[in-house]
Amino acid sequence: MLEIKNVYCSITDSNLNILKGLSLKIKEGETHVIMGPNGTGKSTLAKAIMGHYKYSITKGDILIDKKSILNLTVDERAKKGLYLCMQDPTVIEGVSNSEFLRTALSSKTGTKVNLYSFITDMEKAMKEVELDSNMLHRSLNMGFSGGEKKKNEILGLKVLKPKYIILDEIDSGLDVDSLRIVCKNIKQYMKENKDASLLIITHYPRILEYLKPDYVHILKDGKIRKSGDISLALEVEKEGYTGINVMS
Amino acid sequence: MNKILYIIDDNSNKDYKYKIKEDTIIYHFSINSSNNVEIDLVKENISLYYYYNNINYDDNEFKIEVRHQKNNTHSELYNHGVNVKNNKLTYYVNGIVPKDSAKCICNQENQIINMNDGKSTICPNLLIDNYDVDSNHGAYIGKFSEEKLFYLMSRGINREDATRLLLTSYLINSDSIDLNKISKFINEIEKI
Repeated sequence: MLEIKNVYCSITDSNLNILKGLSLKIKEGETHVIMGPNGTGKSTLAKAIMGHYKYSITKGDILIDKKSILNLTVDERAKKGLYLCMQDPTVIEGVSNSEFLRTALSSKTGTKVNLYSFITDMEKAMKEVELDSNMLHRSLNMGFSGGEKKKNEILGLKVLKPKYIILDEIDSGLDVDSLRIVCKNIKQYMKENKDASLLIITHYPRILEYLKPDYVHILKDGKIRKSGDISLALEVEKEGYTGINVMS
Repeated sequence: MNKILYIIDDNSNKDYKYKIKEDTIIYHFSINSSNNVEIDLVKENISLYYYYNNINYDDNEFKIEVRHQKNNTHSELYNHGVNVKNNKLTYYVNGIVPKDSAKCICNQENQIINMNDGKSTICPNLLIDNYDVDSNHGAYIGKFSEEKLFYLMSRGINREDATRLLLTSYLINSDSIDLNKISKFINEIEKI
């Protein structure tokens, strides 16, 4: 279980709290959605869970299976099963996609990954996410379109098989076909990995047509103000954040 | 077809002078060395790509001067250094286009990564006397981007391995490099 316990989070070296007492429990197999107006702390939450250097947890705790991860480095958190699909994946010139994923897989398994089986597995996975196989040999995210970057994040997910997946606006900038492909692959992953759980950060209910959530939460001013089921997301779509009854 | 040259310097102070008469790529790998390079582009319509990749442990200097002696000549310099210890590393990079050389392209990109608290300096100079020239320069001194390290580490790669991935891509910065010819330099990257 991933538990966020009364977390206060600020930008490192600043007193400005972005998250102000946020609590959330995500059990195995569950899908949670966080929605909220711009600048309310959704992406901050995603990065804070992953241990991003720009954010500091000033109060509260984040736990995986009841053990705090706050003192763990970013890579140690990833090895605990966390995987953040980023809103705008970083471009790294010169590091090939295959080199990156193979190194990550070797780090996860603790053994050197056989090149032949890796390439074979990758070709299959790339076909499933509808990415051209030559992208494996290109610099990481360099020259990739918005859709290709998001698909590449899903490719990483399929290779590394994490347990706690955070999708930070995976649907932004995706056309309808790409969104369908991305969601189809996530859905398949969740079906094959029953203990995996999903935290979706989004502005739009459209993604929820493909990935049915168990819970929808509204984040405002750094705190979850309202929780419900998918009907809450549809209410937001219809009424906007100002139109729904959210505790302030 | 380009002419391709490989230079590997290991703890040496060498000077190099070239008169370039055809399209040329020079891969220069330098381990803890000071170098002085002078290049003249002496034939019209030719290009030079110069990749200087440098691992530095002591106080060293790298000077390179490219002189466009003819019309429509093209130079691209990529100077990448890693200052491993707390030493001085200085780059002087001069691109020169005299008044008589028109329609030249004269570009340079310079970077030094400080792995510790070394003092690094880059002096990028473009001395252009002709109005019809396309010329750019850039210089960066600092550490590897924390954002890049975060991205790599977020997939379970530890900081040391993530840094090594960035180092390798930074110091072997062309897909065309024949790795068999620079095994000594690759071994040196492993030691950083």
